[in-house]
Amino acid sequence: MNAVLDLRPIVPAAIVAVTGVVVLLAQAFTPKGGRAPSSLLSLVGLGGAFASVWLLGSGSAEGAVLAGALAADGLALFLQGLVLGVAIVTVLLSAGYLRANGLERGEYYALLLFSVVGMMGLVSSLELVSMFVALEIMSVALYGMAGLDRARPESQESALKYFVTGAFASAFFLYGVALVYGVTGSTSLERVTRALGVTGPDAFPLAVLGAAFLLVGFGFKIASVPFHMWAPDVYEGAPTTVTAFMSAGVKAAAFGALLRVFDYGLAGLASHWQPLVAALAIVTMALGNLAALAQRNLKRLLAYSSIAHAGYLMSALVAAPALAGEAILFYLVAYAAVNLGAFGVIAALSKDSREPATLADLAGLAERRPALSAALSVFLVSLTGIPVTAGFVGKFYLFNAAVASGWVVLALVGVLTSVVSAYYYLRIVVAMYMEEPVGEDRWAKVSPSAVLALALSAGVTLLFGIWPAPMLTLARLASRSLF
Amino acid sequence: MIPPLAHLLSLLILLPVAGAVVIALTRREAVLQQKLVGLATSLATFVLSTRLVSLFSDTAAIQFQERHAWIPAWGISYHVGVDGLSLWLVILTTFLTPLCLLGSWSSIETRVREFVVFMLLLEAGMIGVFVALDLFLFYVFWEAMLIPMYFLIGIWGHERRIYAAVKFFLYTFAGSVLMLVAFLVLYKAAGIRSFDIPALVAAPVDPALQTWLFLACAIAFAIKVPMWPFHTWLPDAHVEAPTAGSVILAGVLLKMGGYGFLRLAIPLFPDAAVRLAPLVGVLAVIGIVYGALVSLVQPDLKKLVAYSSVSHLGFVMLGIAALTTTGVTGAVYQMLNHGISTGALFFLVGMLYDRRHTRLISEFGGLRAAMPWYFAVFLLISLSSIAVPGTNGFVGEFLILIGAWSFSPTLVVVASLGVILAAAYVLWMVKRVFYGELTNPKNQGLPDLSPREATVLLPLVVLAIVMGIASPIFTRRIEPAADALVRQVREATRPAPASVAERAGAAPAPGDGR
Repeated sequence: MNAVLDLRPIVPAAIVAVTGVVVLLAQAFTPKGGRAPSSLLSLVGLGGAFASVWLLGSGSAEGAVLAGALAADGLALFLQGLVLGVAIVTVLLSAGYLRANGLERGEYYALLLFSVVGMMGLVSSLELVSMFVALEIMSVALYGMAGLDRARPESQESALKYFVTGAFASAFFLYGVALVYGVTGSTSLERVTRALGVTGPDAFPLAVLGAAFLLVGFGFKIASVPFHMWAPDVYEGAPTTVTAFMSAGVKAAAFGALLRVFDYGLAGLASHWQPLVAALAIVTMALGNLAALAQRNLKRLLAYSSIAHAGYLMSALVAAPALAGEAILFYLVAYAAVNLGAFGVIAALSKDSREPATLADLAGLAERRPALSAALSVFLVSLTGIPVTAGFVGKFYLFNAAVASGWVVLALVGVLTSVVSAYYYLRIVVAMYMEEPVGEDRWAKVSPSAVLALALSAGVTLLFGIWPAPMLTLARLASRSLF
Repeated sequence: MIPPLAHLLSLLILLPVAGAVVIALTRREAVLQQKLVGLATSLATFVLSTRLVSLFSDTAAIQFQERHAWIPAWGISYHVGVDGLSLWLVILTTFLTPLCLLGSWSSIETRVREFVVFMLLLEAGMIGVFVALDLFLFYVFWEAMLIPMYFLIGIWGHERRIYAAVKFFLYTFAGSVLMLVAFLVLYKAAGIRSFDIPALVAAPVDPALQTWLFLACAIAFAIKVPMWPFHTWLPDAHVEAPTAGSVILAGVLLKMGGYGFLRLAIPLFPDAAVRLAPLVGVLAVIGIVYGALVSLVQPDLKKLVAYSSVSHLGFVMLGIAALTTTGVTGAVYQMLNHGISTGALFFLVGMLYDRRHTRLISEFGGLRAAMPWYFAVFLLISLSSIAVPGTNGFVGEFLILIGAWSFSPTLVVVASLGVILAAAYVLWMVKRVFYGELTNPKNQGLPDLSPREATVLLPLVVLAIVMGIASPIFTRRIEPAADALVRQVREATRPAPASVAERAGAAPAPGDGR
């Protein structure tokens, strides 16, 4: 170890954490009736963290710190950048949303920032216990955010449900960590890999059990079937900007950790967990999409769609690590932009605790809000996986990874369930463009910052749909730290 | 104005997109400007595309090629070019689009801006499909084009438009995703790390695998054609679509199916294509007879024309399945004919609908007296549609039947039955609509063709005749490419060259390493 402690790799997360504290303090020191500049402070902090991630990425700070617990390797930096981007867009969406719905409270931003700290830790952990701690930091902050709208029982239900299932998932995760530790004598992924590599997988039925428990723990976080039950209720009940943040950010962070644990730490057990993951991917794609067909509520529909997308992502996880890493990383970017956008449109329209909840609420939207409808259509097209959007390139990449590794069946299930998904995504487009508006326009005027957020999301969706090469290269370089 | 030759095809794709972007930025009320800019853009595209014809050399080579790296890591490039198979289909697209815009000048009244934008995007997408020489690029255009068509049917269609639009979308999407998986498997099996079509054609894969890949692609294309029994989306989409949508659908979109067979399914999987050709041929002939029989009993004019498309496209598929130079040339030619004749028929039915807001044959009768010019055009186009000698349809069907004789005389005989049935349903329809007494009072004093309508129809009528009597202008540019395709398939399927088997066995290995 170096004589001088190199703390550079944790600078980005530290910036966010300090910003979180500053936001809280600013709130406390604001005189009654005044408003703390929480969203602005958050943006500055997140922007600073993003810049430092960028600098780290272009520099050479690769080494692990804090006794090998955290690292700023390619995977970590890529996903930290993504999580920060998600947070920035969420803050842009939130300012107008919180004001229009009377939810303006400083702790919202503080919780958001702490949750980001957790996510950043989750994607950079090289060690299972610190990974667990990061997972908890992320989750606990999210439980609070989900329950932010105390006046609405749905929001409380959402928070409680998320907390209970989240705690359950944590228990599984921890048990998995314990089993892996018991077999390999270490919680460091590097040593776990080495220990599993030396003796071969057959000697470790307990390690396989541990891997299964870890998979269950992650399964809850990424909302894969059969650990998805909480998602529709939580997504529906939570304030919509929180849902947007959760669906994009948690998925990115959890998949990052999942990649690192399974494709690196437990790579020696691949022949054992691959069939399991493949089976889960199939049922997740199938059930997520079929259940979405029956939804009338927009947020529940998008929740099931997000479950289905976890399935698509998992179908690449079984591919060779080199392919899996880059495909999943690219898809996470595409997915984050699209989901922030789709939930963002709902959030941008909501006012006085009322938001477009059903398809009927969107009827004829294109007549009144042509730009907003066009943006939502872009997001839905991308979710379906149709060119020229990032969602198409992403799916192409995921299924290519699966096919190239011999899992044609996963690609087949993936594309066929995508056809099913086209039906329910199109229904939203049908409502907006092909039905007549009912009553008068009772939705909020979209705030300028939300316009910026949605334009960013739509821009990224189209840009990476037409010209994906730079982001693909970045994803490839980032995924090299896996092997 | 002479555009740089190297970018002619890209310009053809970009020009409509640029027009669409400009129109999208205009105010909603500026309807006239939107129509004018749309028409001007599509006309400019057409004029530009005629340079393809004048500069085209009558060889089998792929011309006007352009190639730029796009996603180098996967061997994906922006590779475009035309040969005899695609040349006229590109022209057909650029030719029909301005006519469609002009034809819907007054029948589209709501959301004109969006209409023009979608029409232009659709044009760009269709040209893209015909010129793409990279599987990824092909798929991008193939899919992206679904969206404007979906909106055209769903927004400006008739009563059951939403049902028809969604059905159209899901059917085609379901077919194409299977094709996508086939592309991915091919990419891995070919082992050349490239999605370039000519490169993949030169590296054939294991014949056993070819069968599966061919089937996956064939389903996608068969849905588009549409071949029996994948045709059920077509009558719905056609009947519910606005006139311009029907014209484009029949005129160009359906051709993508046949073109897909010629450009991808057959050259990429020659062994499977030859093995499964009888299946394709039988389905094609079933389609011919089935489409004709169903047309006979249609009470609705537009449905009749729609089902007649199933029958006509059956001929195209028979020519393709025959895999002879004459058959393939005839198939390509018949695709053009169908675009002209059926496009014109949809225009004509649309014009009648604009006047009477009904398409039921029983509502009409004796129209000959009320609308003599309309009747004259209708009769001429009907004759071309049933392949009367001297019209374009005759040349196409004749070439196909001749070309298919060596493939299967039985199928040719049954297909000829379709020619007779076509005469029956078309002439009977003409009789019921135009002849007899003008009994329905609502038909009294229907206005004849307006100058605008005449302008739309005139080029189509002229072409129907020119293509009937001067077909070599067209076929001599198609034939070399058709011949090259047939030759390539023969060479690829010639029995027992050890090198082929060896290559097929060794090819997947590099892909496994990934």
